[in-house]
Amino acid sequence: MPSIISVNNLNKHFKIYKHHRGITGPLRNLATRKATTIKAVNGINFEIETGELVGYLGPNGAGKSTTIKMLTGLLVPTSGEIKVNGRIPWKSRKEHVSEIGAVFGQRTTLWWDLPVIESLDLLQYIYKIPPEIFQNNLDEFREMLELDPFLNTPVRALSLGQRMRADICAALLHNPKLLFLDEPTIGLDVVAKERIRRFIQHINQQRSTTVLLTTHDLLDVEKLCKRVMIIDHGELVYDGKLELLRERFGGKRKLIVDFIEEYDQISIEGAIIAEREGSRITFHFTPHDITASELINQLSSRYRIRDLEVREPDIETTIRRIYEERLLE
Amino acid sequence: MVDMWYTLNIYRRLISISIRGQLQYRVSFVFDILATALITALGFGTIALVLQRFDNIAGWTVYEIAFLFGMAETAFGIMDMIFSGFDPPYFGRRVRLGSFDQLLLRPVNLIAQVLGSEFVLRRLGRIIQGSIILIISISNLEIQWTTVKILMLPVVFVSLVIFFGGLFIVGAALSFWTIESLEAVNIFTYGGTEMMQYPMDIYPNLMRAFFTYILPAIFLLYYPALYILDKPDPLGMPPFSPFLAPFVAVIVFTLALVFWNYGLRFYQSSGT
Repeated sequence: MPSIISVNNLNKHFKIYKHHRGITGPLRNLATRKATTIKAVNGINFEIETGELVGYLGPNGAGKSTTIKMLTGLLVPTSGEIKVNGRIPWKSRKEHVSEIGAVFGQRTTLWWDLPVIESLDLLQYIYKIPPEIFQNNLDEFREMLELDPFLNTPVRALSLGQRMRADICAALLHNPKLLFLDEPTIGLDVVAKERIRRFIQHINQQRSTTVLLTTHDLLDVEKLCKRVMIIDHGELVYDGKLELLRERFGGKRKLIVDFIEEYDQISIEGAIIAEREGSRITFHFTPHDITASELINQLSSRYRIRDLEVREPDIETTIRRIYEERLLE
Repeated sequence: MVDMWYTLNIYRRLISISIRGQLQYRVSFVFDILATALITALGFGTIALVLQRFDNIAGWTVYEIAFLFGMAETAFGIMDMIFSGFDPPYFGRRVRLGSFDQLLLRPVNLIAQVLGSEFVLRRLGRIIQGSIILIISISNLEIQWTTVKILMLPVVFVSLVIFFGGLFIVGAALSFWTIESLEAVNIFTYGGTEMMQYPMDIYPNLMRAFFTYILPAIFLLYYPALYILDKPDPLGMPPFSPFLAPFVAVIVFTLALVFWNYGLRFYQSSGT
């Protein structure tokens, strides 16, 4: 598979000027321009292949949005190389943006005063979308995203969830090869989040649209992404399978067992008893020491079990550990 | 050609969105126009009062000044309406809030999109007021009309619009470098028009030199006006000076576009 995005030693540095206060402030700002350089993105490399759905994670201010803005052609890199669809985004802006879709959760790309359907009509003209394709896409998205109740409502009057659905629809009408989603579920309720996740998955699987997704909601990642990239302080600290991340940093898995009777003495090599509540015992274990099936086998051969449940370490805890303890350095 | 037609069409659609939005609030719209007209009228009223006392400013009568004033006001008003999207305070706010991003994400010429993003109809107040003053001036001046003068008037007018537009684009482009608002930019945009409403010979040498050699505003209105009104040139510039307006306007506008494109590379977007 050829790479649809390739990023090579990418840097984006911002200069922040110290601001003076008061009436003479602006004048002094001009006179004494003391700049501190912020390395928002600092020498990152990655490749994304056609059809991938990649989660791009990192704490606030880590450089996620800056990266996305360079990939979408909004920002010009300080140095380094970006190729998307074989183009340098900011150099051939018009050609580049006609083949991508982008949704920035924080703000709409639609026209504030226009009813949703008129915004979409205007986009058909702007992206020169052939009528059949436009109609097919619109029919499909209307149904999946349930746009009908507010299709004639001006964008300014939409709820956050409705606006987000309208924005996602708008970003995909022209069949982009690549979809950038910056916080597409931010501020939404559980039902709305789930609907958007299902839709993203559908687009990725049915149309092999490549998706790069930033999010703070780790459930998004867990449900959607096989591969994650983690950026922190402008540097890419992890790029690989979500599974591996969990294995390496996830800490312990849990096995919760309901025994038919209370046993005083239970010991299994490789598993620790973490909690005991009557006949229910919670074991902690790492796959390195003992696999889940071995553990269950040993338990069931020696004791009488009513019910059991294996719990994976959740990704949220995993990633928080990485941010906080800076495990990847 | 096809591409240009497409861009123009999008521009037309964007403008109609902006206008439809403004017409939703009819009462406020009418009041806006009245207020703008009143402000412009007060501006000229002040000069007229001063002139009644002194009869002339540097040898320019009230109607001659009214000619400069009317031309500058009307042209600026029209520019201010067409280039509303580039209005530096407005555009600066857009850059700070990050809503400029959405224009960059669409596969359409950026200049057309910025022009299309705003079309402030209430500037009509300034335009109406300016043109009334211009008409009063011309009908009282007894200008010796020649073919050249008749052709010159619209050319100078359009040149002024283009020139002011260039200043707006430069002002807007400055916001790519700084996240704070730059009130200083208004000295050149709004201040530029104010300055052109008076005969150039009243200004100190240094300032006149600036508006001759650095920002050659002097050729846009003052020299054409000298020619149309058959007034002698007190500054002793070459005899072709009254005819430079369209060239100066096109050069300034082109440089403004170059500056804009350069500035775009420094656009930082906003957080998140």
